Amino acid sequence: MNHNPQSSDGKHDDDSALSDFLASLMDYTPTIPDELVEHYLSKSGFQSPDVRLIRLVAVATQKFVAEVASDALMHCKARQAAVVKDKRDKQQKDKRLILTMDDLSKSLREYGVNVKHQEYFADSPSTGIDPASREE
Amino acid sequence: MNNGCLEKRKKEGSKSSKFGSKSDDFAVAIAKVAAAQVCESVGFQGFHLSALETLSDITVRYIFSIGKSANFCANFAGRVEANLFDIIHGLEELGSGLGFAGASDVDRCVVNSGIVRDIIHFVGDADFIPFAYDVPRFPVVKELKEIGSFQEKGEDPPGEHIPSWLPTFPVPETYATRSSVENEMMSVPTGKKTESELASIERKMERSLLNLQLRFAKNGNEDGSLHGVGYSGRAREDFEGNPYLAAPLHSGEKEVEVSPVVFPAKLSNEASLRNPVPGNVIVGNHVSVLETFASAIDALKSGLCDSDNGTKKLLSTQRPTLRFKIGIGKKSFGTEPDFNSQKDDNEKDDKKRRVETIL
Repeated sequence: MNHNPQSSDGKHDDDSALSDFLASLMDYTPTIPDELVEHYLSKSGFQSPDVRLIRLVAVATQKFVAEVASDALMHCKARQAAVVKDKRDKQQKDKRLILTMDDLSKSLREYGVNVKHQEYFADSPSTGIDPASREE
Repeated sequence: MNNGCLEKRKKEGSKSSKFGSKSDDFAVAIAKVAAAQVCESVGFQGFHLSALETLSDITVRYIFSIGKSANFCANFAGRVEANLFDIIHGLEELGSGLGFAGASDVDRCVVNSGIVRDIIHFVGDADFIPFAYDVPRFPVVKELKEIGSFQEKGEDPPGEHIPSWLPTFPVPETYATRSSVENEMMSVPTGKKTESELASIERKMERSLLNLQLRFAKNGNEDGSLHGVGYSGRAREDFEGNPYLAAPLHSGEKEVEVSPVVFPAKLSNEASLRNPVPGNVIVGNHVSVLETFASAIDALKSGLCDSDNGTKKLLSTQRPTLRFKIGIGKKSFGTEPDFNSQKDDNEKDDKKRRVETIL
């Protein structure tokens, strides 16, 4: 009805934007290689002769990983800022930004991925227990 | 406490999943490098290995789940090959947890999806960072070497019941052991075998030992100091009670039917008889290998021997039986026999003396 001509124009625009985007994807080489993406897509049963779709999936994955990494970076920087507040002399030492399991699990939790890292590993079940209770 | 062990077992179990298996090592390594590069572009200067492994695992699973949901959408629509819309559907499914622009719209169009717009923005903003290494196409598919059919090779199939369009049989050299004694001895396997296989292994052993003794005979002829292989009647007489001297069984015959002798307790043990270890043919007593196969050799003499009969006749008249004493477990066939065993039997002393003269 009223929306039809507008929506059809809009659709044309969207279509053209999408097709332009797919064409531009062939120029932009994502960091994640096509071969890796193709390998896992074929493992999942995904079948397509179009290379642009592979590129699209690669770009989408790169975006996802970048988002997770940037969230982890935020957590890392926040932690360092908190430490610096307590002891000013540590400002010089903790400049290096390192991706740790702690930050990663915090950022992944928002994406629905629950990652729990082992705090420590013990030799036997009774490690760390009071000697008195260990004998029992 | 026990949880530690349980978690370890779980970890090991998860390793055998499709993303942790050994066959996937190459792909996982590539994913690690790619994830590290993305982290570096974001601003990280280092990482813990466990964190990188987790991130690369998640990357791989993300790709896998996009593919799975896109494939599902395509199949749902009655198609085998997925297209752009299937992928966008898959991305929307994965992104629905976090939300994307326009997710709540009832009549939204797939083409106008917020997810696609986000990706377009990302491509526009992100730096161009190519992958660090040149990745070949994997997994590499080996081309099958086709065995031609009888018709293609122009051969006649051995038997009327075999049609000519079937592939040809493999070359006999690839499965039949006809090589040197050592090869045969090495190829004799341990473990449980079916009766027919064991019988065939025994026959092969007998043949190989016969060859070895003929070789000794030839060597003996040359230097004249060795006591060669002998098929003296004495040998037969002495060891009539020995089941190993019974004539070799042809296919289909049962051992019980052939040997009329009473088996000694040790030797009647089927398992020990069937044990295809050439060095220790007899369990328990230090009975020589030659004794056991003397009759077998005799029987095979007419059938299998290619060497000149004259030599053998010479041997039978001139040389007494060569007797080896084989130690159990340590010594292979043909090595220095064990002299230290204490035997009261005259026979055994006889054997000892003969062995000493040889050496």
